[in-house]
Amino acid sequence: MPGPVRYLIIGCGNPDRGDDAAGLLVARRLRSLGIEALERGGEGLDLLESWSGAESVIIVDAVISGASVGSISVWDAQTAPVARAVFRASTHAFGVAEAVELGRALAQLPPSLRIYGIEAGQFELGSPPSPEVLAAVEELARRIAEELVVAT
Amino acid sequence: MTSKTIRVDYLARVEGEGALQVKLRGDRVEDVKLKIFEPPRMFEAFLRGRHFLEAPDITARICGICPIAYQMSAVHAMERALGVTVDPAIRLLRRLIYCGEWIESHALHVYMLHAPDFLGYQDALEMARDHKEAVEQALRLKKIGNYLMIVLGGREIHPISVCVGGFYRVPPRSELLALVEDLKWALDASIATARLVNGFEFPDFEQDYEFVALSHPDEYPFNEGRVVSNKGLDIDVSEFEEHFFEQHVRHSNALQSQLRKRGSYLVGPLARFNLNYAKLPEIARQTASDCKLAVPCLNPFRSIVVRAIELVFSCEEALRIIAEYEPPAAPRVEVPVRAATGHAATEAPRGLLYHRYQIDERGLIRSARIVPPTSQNQKRIEEDLWYFVPQIATQPVEQITLRCEQAVRNYDPCISCATHFLRLEIEREP
Repeated sequence: MPGPVRYLIIGCGNPDRGDDAAGLLVARRLRSLGIEALERGGEGLDLLESWSGAESVIIVDAVISGASVGSISVWDAQTAPVARAVFRASTHAFGVAEAVELGRALAQLPPSLRIYGIEAGQFELGSPPSPEVLAAVEELARRIAEELVVAT
Repeated sequence: MTSKTIRVDYLARVEGEGALQVKLRGDRVEDVKLKIFEPPRMFEAFLRGRHFLEAPDITARICGICPIAYQMSAVHAMERALGVTVDPAIRLLRRLIYCGEWIESHALHVYMLHAPDFLGYQDALEMARDHKEAVEQALRLKKIGNYLMIVLGGREIHPISVCVGGFYRVPPRSELLALVEDLKWALDASIATARLVNGFEFPDFEQDYEFVALSHPDEYPFNEGRVVSNKGLDIDVSEFEEHFFEQHVRHSNALQSQLRKRGSYLVGPLARFNLNYAKLPEIARQTASDCKLAVPCLNPFRSIVVRAIELVFSCEEALRIIAEYEPPAAPRVEVPVRAATGHAATEAPRGLLYHRYQIDERGLIRSARIVPPTSQNQKRIEEDLWYFVPQIATQPVEQITLRCEQAVRNYDPCISCATHFLRLEIEREP
């Protein structure tokens, strides 16, 4: 079992379903910048386990909130519930929002948990992500990398 | 007569997408359709032309919950076709990885998917607020099942180490011994689970089922055995297609399987338990007895207790295997290629999973046939509702709907396997 991790970044999604790849692509981009980041499918129970023992967690996933495609949103899971409808983009019925709320009910939320959402437009099987989403991936990876530099 | 229309647009807590429609006139059921609209996935077709060694990895992708079942049925079918016998230690490791899958799948279904029905919660999340310890127990159990799959299979979802002839890698004894303390905890937690769920209230409902499961002379079945039923069926798995047939029905993208001249039948924990009770280890039989679980158990709602008994079995079996494990001389045996046909059935968490492959002299798959457990239970789920709904037809619409969903979940259906959400629709006519 891994010991406590100070920062943990988890990108969620499915690489073969259009904009759903957003979270994974942010994780990959961060790694190319020398920052450790995990790629996960986004299944809720798996997430709960993945962040176990971590102090500060950042999750990135595709969302559907009604904003324009490629918009970046952020939620502080410690201060407010996460809207389940927004994360319906997941392949899993039990996804990011459910993991956060189950974690809250079981007192298993990391001390800091921020969730970044990239607004998705399409989830076609086998299709590449939208250009707006790819631009948002770049932007968000840069923002997270800068935050970590400031924090450490 | 009263007229009511009941409609639920989203039935969660099943694997996959489908809908259920129940038409009622007064307290009489007019029609029941389990509609599976998940598109056909064509696995049997795209296996054609692929090398036989690829079958376990391709078919594992059919399901994220029970990939081991697909890998096991595939490797056994290929090994039967090619006349391969594996080292006894390999056979034990295959039973061990199957224990991992049963623990992971049953813990998920018992606690997170089915228990909320009995306790009156909308979902596991809502349940977790009042039953924190139970949910924590479920998550730890599931995690231990996952560990087993990781140690043996390389990862918990779509494991990569299982192959025709054995494993790509087998663990040293020390890796398995490291799991013993967790498994001992899991065994106790499984017994506690059985006692907990046995305290639930069960609808008074029994059916004269034909139960179908594998049966092995000395083991509770995972990987091998004859296909038997409580109504006289006793066949080698190679005869499966002579006795069972699949039928297309308009309302479902999954074929419905039936027994020739006899119709619906039931596969899964209830069938295994009723047909193989004597082969359960003492501790599992004792737990069943403490739960006053009759054999045969004919009440499908009690399947949640039977799943808990199978959790007890899986933990005990895993501990037994680890205690006697000595790594095999080689992780796998060479597999000679020839043109042949092979059949196999193994016991997925949800029930019997049948595979048949025909391969040519180059080892390429010419044809494949896969009959998953949920296709086999599909017709029986509909029949349960035909008989169960009249019992509750006078109850409020919301109550009928909840009970129907609960009755479907008795089968832990995996619609993704059978062809992903279940939409429930009840129509009441005057």
